[in-house]
Amino acid sequence: MANLKEIKRRIKSVKSTQQITKAMKLVSASKLRRAQEAIMSARPYALKMMEVLNHLSARCNKDLHPLLEEREGSRWLVVVITADRGLCGGFNGSIIRKAHQVIKENSDKEIQLITAGKKGHAIFKSRDNKILHDYSGWTRDFDYLKASEIGSTLANLYIEKAVDRVYVLYNEFKSVMQQEVILEQLLPIVPEDLGTGKGKKLAVDYVYEPDEETILDTLIERYMTVEVYRAFLESSASEHGARMTAMDSASRNAGDMIGSLSLTYNKARQAYITKELIEIVNGAEALKA
Amino acid sequence: MAANKLQLSIVTPERLVVNEDVDQVNVPGVEGDLGILYDHASILTTMRPGQLSYESDGEKGRETIHMVVSGGYLEVTDNRVIVLAETAEFLDQIDKERARTALAKAEEVLANTDLADDDFEEAQHKLFRAVARLENAEDN
Repeated sequence: MANLKEIKRRIKSVKSTQQITKAMKLVSASKLRRAQEAIMSARPYALKMMEVLNHLSARCNKDLHPLLEEREGSRWLVVVITADRGLCGGFNGSIIRKAHQVIKENSDKEIQLITAGKKGHAIFKSRDNKILHDYSGWTRDFDYLKASEIGSTLANLYIEKAVDRVYVLYNEFKSVMQQEVILEQLLPIVPEDLGTGKGKKLAVDYVYEPDEETILDTLIERYMTVEVYRAFLESSASEHGARMTAMDSASRNAGDMIGSLSLTYNKARQAYITKELIEIVNGAEALKA
Repeated sequence: MAANKLQLSIVTPERLVVNEDVDQVNVPGVEGDLGILYDHASILTTMRPGQLSYESDGEKGRETIHMVVSGGYLEVTDNRVIVLAETAEFLDQIDKERARTALAKAEEVLANTDLADDDFEEAQHKLFRAVARLENAEDN
């Protein structure tokens, strides 16, 4: 049987694919561990920061800081965080899908994008969306400094009134297997409603040192950095999680494929041997007669 | 939560450092040190680099734990104390050698007279941080 050889070749090729996916899975697993630690430890700070800022901004006057001021304009800026590399399941796809959905649903708005991650950048570039900045390549070794640069870029765009609203779109890390696409409004900063009675009572006897404005100023600057930092870390942990899951199922699929190919191979081999035996027996019978 | 306790959480961008119920927190505020007890008025303040401590009744009686923070914010509302610090270290974690190098570096920068305001502020901040670390590490 001629395809015996062919099956063997396919088994070999699937095996080498499996080796690659297995290796990638291991690499992702170790990167994931680090990324997961990073996000888990960054979350409490970000959450507390948000809480403090919420308390503060809910009470104080909106004119106190330009980033609190809400504008009626229709120019939106969406920061889309994807991965630099593919092979991570639906990770990039779901972000991009959501971005397109947002753009479509708000066709009356003028939407500009800032991309981070080559995958997203490539797609949006090819579809004439307006890309203001591209931070591709930044996702690797993302640190506080980079976050603060992006944060202040966003803040400046808002203060200069180049945009009226800033959103960030990223994958939130839920668990290794699960990511959730999140669209979050970054600017203007909207204080959560603290409820009526209690919030009002607090407002009266709050003490500020040195004073509201100074605190608000520095706090907001830091808040921007922390939020950007958190979004990028969430995205990075999600990316590694998604890649690990994708590579895990790829390895498993390759295993299944090798199994069924081996079965076909063995069946073919057996059929070939049987056929040969029959031929020999037939030949001998013919000679006897 | 036990009666009359403050719920203290100290967080830095790197991690959640402390999250427990305590009796008293002493903080280096920009305009002077603050001692915070149960039912303290709501306050929001910035902190300067310095020593922070908190006291709680542990199993071995009253315990005071000291830390060095390098600036950040403090918020007290409803007996919840939130410390957002840039860094927060327990005294035995302080790397004196590093602090000394940082101090020397900051002094060197400050010795330069024609510094821009921003650079000056940054160097000064670094200096204060290093000093706070060293002072507290040494008297331990």
